[in-house]
Amino acid sequence: MKKILITRPEHDDTTHYLSNWCKKVIEVIDAKGIKLFDLHRDKANKAEVASIIEKQCPGLIIFNGHGDDNCVTGDKNEPLIESGNNESLLKDKITYAVSCRSAKLLGPKSVAAGAKAYIGYDDDFVFVYSPDKITKPFLDESAKMFLEPSNELIISLIKGNSAEESHRRSQEFFKDRMKRLLSSESTPEESSMARYLWWDMVHQVCLGDQKAIFGDE
Amino acid sequence: MNKDIEEQIKKTVIARLEVLPQDKKMSIGASGEFSRDELIEKVKLGDPIGKKMIQIELDFLRSLKKGII
Repeated sequence: MKKILITRPEHDDTTHYLSNWCKKVIEVIDAKGIKLFDLHRDKANKAEVASIIEKQCPGLIIFNGHGDDNCVTGDKNEPLIESGNNESLLKDKITYAVSCRSAKLLGPKSVAAGAKAYIGYDDDFVFVYSPDKITKPFLDESAKMFLEPSNELIISLIKGNSAEESHRRSQEFFKDRMKRLLSSESTPEESSMARYLWWDMVHQVCLGDQKAIFGDE
Repeated sequence: MNKDIEEQIKKTVIARLEVLPQDKKMSIGASGEFSRDELIEKVKLGDPIGKKMIQIELDFLRSLKKGII
């Protein structure tokens, strides 16, 4: 049976948005009958992550949260996976980290430790949002611009596309949004967001086996 | 970088940020969430977030020049 692990800390605005937008992905996972381990809020901790990976062996891992060059973090910024410590947990798995900079060092080290593929961002992941929509993040059109291309990558992996193809589809989503923002129909306010979308697009990288497919393990 | 050029770049970045709607915020990963006015202040101060804003703007302008977008 296909299994997916998702971490969804929710302790600040950024993680609140990532966690809530990930619900769209969870709907797809449920519809496909895939077994989901959803580590939400305080369950997004190092011990739970290690336990699920070791006991359940999910083929796909999605980290939502913060991070730096060497780690991805969970609830209240607890490091979940750190290079030089426990990156071997990602062995034989496809990982997508919606977090800052972890694809810079943690990604390559995970691949060196046997991860099938590591998709993430090699610099800060930035997004614009409307604080007055914080209780209804799905209605936030600004955040949607940034978080839909990210979700597209996960949905593509779930549908059985390769890591490379899923990365490409996400890049196309980013480009499509950018073109819309830079078109003459957009307001100057909307156009001003294009540079941040572009930043996320160029810093999203796919490391490891480009042909890796979720479910092939 | 030449001081005059640096100041000119800062002015350009600030002008771009001023176009961002005042009611929006920007999430910059673990660094936190910032309003438009806070970002402008950080560019003026030249702190790490301000430098990040400058880097994003310069990289974006270079990509436009190269015709990547």
